[in-house]
Amino acid sequence: MATRRDVQDIMGLGGADTPKTSIQKRPKAAAPQKKLLGVNREVAALYGERPPPVAIYEQKKTYRAKRQNAGPAKKWIQQPFSNPARSDGLILKHWRRKPGPRLNPENGEDVIMEDVENQDPQVETEYEFAKYNVQVEVPSYTDEEYEAHLRSYDWSREETEYLLQMVKEYYYRWPLIYDRYDFRPSTTPSEPSSSAGGDTTTNNIKPDIDAPGTEDTPSKSLAMLPFVPPATRTIEDLKKRYYTLSATLMKLHTPETAMNPAEYSLYETLNSYDPEREAARKRLAVALMNRSADEINEEQWLLAELQRINMSATKLDTERAELRDRLEAPVPNPALAGGLAQFQTSQALAALFAQLFQQDRSKKRQSGSGRLSLSATDIIGTPTSAHHANNAQHLSGSSSNRKTSLAQPGGGSNLSQHPTRNLPPQLEHRFNVSTHDRLTSGISFGSDKLQKLRQAKSNVQTQKIAAVLAQLGFPEIMPIPTARVAGAFEGLVGRVGKLLDVRKVREKEEGELRILEAMKGKRAGDEGGPGGGEGDTEDKGVKVEVGEEGEGTQNDNENENGDGDGADNDNDEGGEDDDGDGDDDADADDGEEDADGDGENDDNDIDDDVEGEEVEGEGAEADSESARQPSEAMSSRTGTAAPSASASASHKRSASVLSGVSNKSNKRVKK
Amino acid sequence: MNIPNASTVPNPNEYAGDEVSAIVLDPGYSTTRAGFAGEDVPKSVIPTYYGVLDSESGSEYLFGENAIHNPLRNLEIKNPWSTDGIVENWETATRVWEYAITSRLTGAKQTDPIKNGLNDPLNGDPDVEMEGLDDAEKPLTDSPLLMTEPGWSSTKAREKYIEIAMEDWGTPAFYLGKTGVLAAFAAGKASGIVIDIGASMTSVTPVIDGMVLKKGVQKSPLAGNFVSNQIRLIFNQSQPQIPLTPHYVVSSKTPVDAGVPSQAIYKTFEIPPTASFRRNEEERVLTEFKESVVETWAGPGRFSNGTNEELAKATPGRPFEMPDGWNQVFGVERFKAVEGLFDASAALFDAENPRPKDEQTIPRLVQAAMQHVDVDQRPAILAHVIVTGGSSLLYKFNERLNSELQAMFPAPRIRLIAPGNVVERKYGAWIGGSILASLGSFHQLWISKKEYEEHGPSIVEKRCK
Repeated sequence: MATRRDVQDIMGLGGADTPKTSIQKRPKAAAPQKKLLGVNREVAALYGERPPPVAIYEQKKTYRAKRQNAGPAKKWIQQPFSNPARSDGLILKHWRRKPGPRLNPENGEDVIMEDVENQDPQVETEYEFAKYNVQVEVPSYTDEEYEAHLRSYDWSREETEYLLQMVKEYYYRWPLIYDRYDFRPSTTPSEPSSSAGGDTTTNNIKPDIDAPGTEDTPSKSLAMLPFVPPATRTIEDLKKRYYTLSATLMKLHTPETAMNPAEYSLYETLNSYDPEREAARKRLAVALMNRSADEINEEQWLLAELQRINMSATKLDTERAELRDRLEAPVPNPALAGGLAQFQTSQALAALFAQLFQQDRSKKRQSGSGRLSLSATDIIGTPTSAHHANNAQHLSGSSSNRKTSLAQPGGGSNLSQHPTRNLPPQLEHRFNVSTHDRLTSGISFGSDKLQKLRQAKSNVQTQKIAAVLAQLGFPEIMPIPTARVAGAFEGLVGRVGKLLDVRKVREKEEGELRILEAMKGKRAGDEGGPGGGEGDTEDKGVKVEVGEEGEGTQNDNENENGDGDGADNDNDEGGEDDDGDGDDDADADDGEEDADGDGENDDNDIDDDVEGEEVEGEGAEADSESARQPSEAMSSRTGTAAPSASASASHKRSASVLSGVSNKSNKRVKK
Repeated sequence: MNIPNASTVPNPNEYAGDEVSAIVLDPGYSTTRAGFAGEDVPKSVIPTYYGVLDSESGSEYLFGENAIHNPLRNLEIKNPWSTDGIVENWETATRVWEYAITSRLTGAKQTDPIKNGLNDPLNGDPDVEMEGLDDAEKPLTDSPLLMTEPGWSSTKAREKYIEIAMEDWGTPAFYLGKTGVLAAFAAGKASGIVIDIGASMTSVTPVIDGMVLKKGVQKSPLAGNFVSNQIRLIFNQSQPQIPLTPHYVVSSKTPVDAGVPSQAIYKTFEIPPTASFRRNEEERVLTEFKESVVETWAGPGRFSNGTNEELAKATPGRPFEMPDGWNQVFGVERFKAVEGLFDASAALFDAENPRPKDEQTIPRLVQAAMQHVDVDQRPAILAHVIVTGGSSLLYKFNERLNSELQAMFPAPRIRLIAPGNVVERKYGAWIGGSILASLGSFHQLWISKKEYEEHGPSIVEKRCK
């Protein structure tokens, strides 16, 4: 091995200084580095400059300390001891160090040593384990107390004392007391055993109330019969007797008012013991114990499910709350108000949601879930998601709908565990189970759907429907919109719509009828003579109308007839257009509608005809109207053989009326 | 400073111990265990079987492992216990127990040189000293005795125990503990249900707060000896019949192929030993068979249920060689010997061995015992199912027991406590007694000689509850 010195020698560098400096330096460098003992050099090298993160304590290899030679070996003796917990003074022996010899400087040590060895060691009278001899206290009573307060119909005094003794003996361990309870009433010496006549032990029981005089009478067993205690006492019986006895004695010794809180609560507890309730509780506990494995599995599954539902419900609620906060937050900047307003409909919200979801998904590819964690699982978890369609069974109604959705978050691993059952139709009906079609994706409010039910195509119609519903006493929002309720409501709204249509048509026809009658009357008045009072007034009325434009008369007539509801004909017609098929339904439909229709029919036959025509369709109606009125006009024309100026005037008028009608019909046709 | 480890003796102050050199005696049908309290293993374990040699000069009793396996002529092997777990022959039982105590524990006592007769003057009157001598000769004069008894022993039997201990052995103090309670103590539990599968009896004992629920104690004869008889039936019923040859008849053997008749040289006896001797020796072979071949079907379900038997067939068999060299691999039949303990309908039977009753099977015993436990205690009890007794060492026994109990009580949690240590399992009751008798607070419970003299044997009923 070539050391540096050798190299220096070889190179001829050997100076006296250099080794010195190196020697001086070396201890300096070594000093701060504490050398670890007990660690392999290689391991220590791995630590590098820094100290190890865990403190390493050196463990020096040590040997057991040398035995201290403290004189000769100590002697042990079998030390006799008596136990103060015993009454019989049994002396047992245990090994103890022999007490050291008392050194007496005056006498020789040897003598004393011998004395000690020959002596019997003193019996220890104190015993450290005697303190564990603890006895319980049971209540005690005097004869008077027993006679006055503690007598019971089914407990003899002897048995009561036996019970107290058992309680003391078994330290209030009721299961053991019950197990060992074996009360055998002692036969009184005065009672001859032959009198019992080979009876059972129950006959020998001497109850409290048994009078001594009756002992020898033959009816003894009969007299005692009500007091014969039950053959077996339940643990509740024993407890009840003991607790009532304790409570009574407590009350006797310290009146309730004088009891301190602890005593009083104990007293209350003792008094409130109810054996029947206890027995019932035990029966239930037994039933709980005896559940089958399937029941237990089901319960466990349900508990797990409940826990999961609770967890995801809180999660979902917070997320929803967050979303709602976002949506409902007041817009501080008016410039942005318009921006938010566009999200007020559910469709717009759905669109927004889809947009956000898309953004989130693209974002999520890069990083974890964002603040608005609209991950795929969450969407599946939302009640309005389309996921449900995959599952065969769903609970109906929006509230239960949510539960279902919560019960299947992720739809993944847990979905398979879900025990799907196919209910028979009656049960489905009973439990209100229904299956849904595929729901539309995106966000929408359930209340929107409810509103939608009430809405017709036009605002006027909607208002009318609302008025009818209000008249019928329906609230604005259905309190419990179950599937069935919503269905019934939908049907009702449809019928209301039809009813309104029918009413409108009727009113229109009535109006036309009135015009025609007025025309007829006019014509008759014309024929009869210009002097006809009624006809005159009517004529005047008509004339006045005629003086105005045709359109205007038509409108006025309509106004007169339509009770103010026919204000805008356009809308009405639009309504008629759409309700054409609805009318068909109405005719084919049931009770109410028919009844209404009948009522109307009774009112006037013409209406009936009109309706019949209307069924055929709008075009036909328009045609028939236009066709009939000219024909009537024609007939009236033919009826008036000699046309006069007035007649021509009336004709003109009717023509103008006709033109009005035809205008209207034309409009319809156009539409 | 020594760091305490598993093998260091604990400081008596740590476990409230105070050893008074009490002797614990745990008599059983197959073995009798005796030892000093505070130790972890009984020092003296002897077979309860004893030999009787009848000769002209009267019968001679032979005790101990060495004596009863010696193929002497006319040697009858007997057992003082009856097969239903009660001592039948008290006289010999006392001698067997005394042998268990004196052979290893107390030893033959060296008498005082003044009194041993060697130093007596020839013309002295020995009768004067005889009374004191009598007392000194009694084997247990300076050791309190804790004995164990089965949970169903009668008042008479209990009084007999204390009479023997006090009168015959002269013990200064006596206590009688129930095996169930003591086994629970050995497992470190004060409450639990103890399933003790011994040689002649299986017992199920509910224990609450260190006391037996007397009404709940169940016993049945389906135990180790029953399994032995089942094996005998399997041997007899198999085709060809399996020969059961005890060790003592074989002089030398040569290896043979499986299933081939053995080619052993047998010993010849002028007068062959008695049938009872042979049976006892056969039991030793069967014990070996039980230890090495017999297996319990571990569940789930019973062995005879559905496909379990098929599954068992798929497992590899276990070979066994008789002392004479006959050998065979035991397949599915090795499961059948134990199945009777759990499923009475699966037990083999013939004229001598009647079919066991359904309610004698272990699961039914547990069920019956639990019926007597208050419902409030049941979950606590079932959380401490303590399994003890030598026959519980049957392979996979605990697995099966666990699955049976789980099926029976699906609701509460069931925990089996069975020490893996063979000694602790076999001598559970003795170890519990050893713990109990070495506790300082226990010494107030002894029935002292004075109390016995005062109250008579009936005191045992009052004190040992």
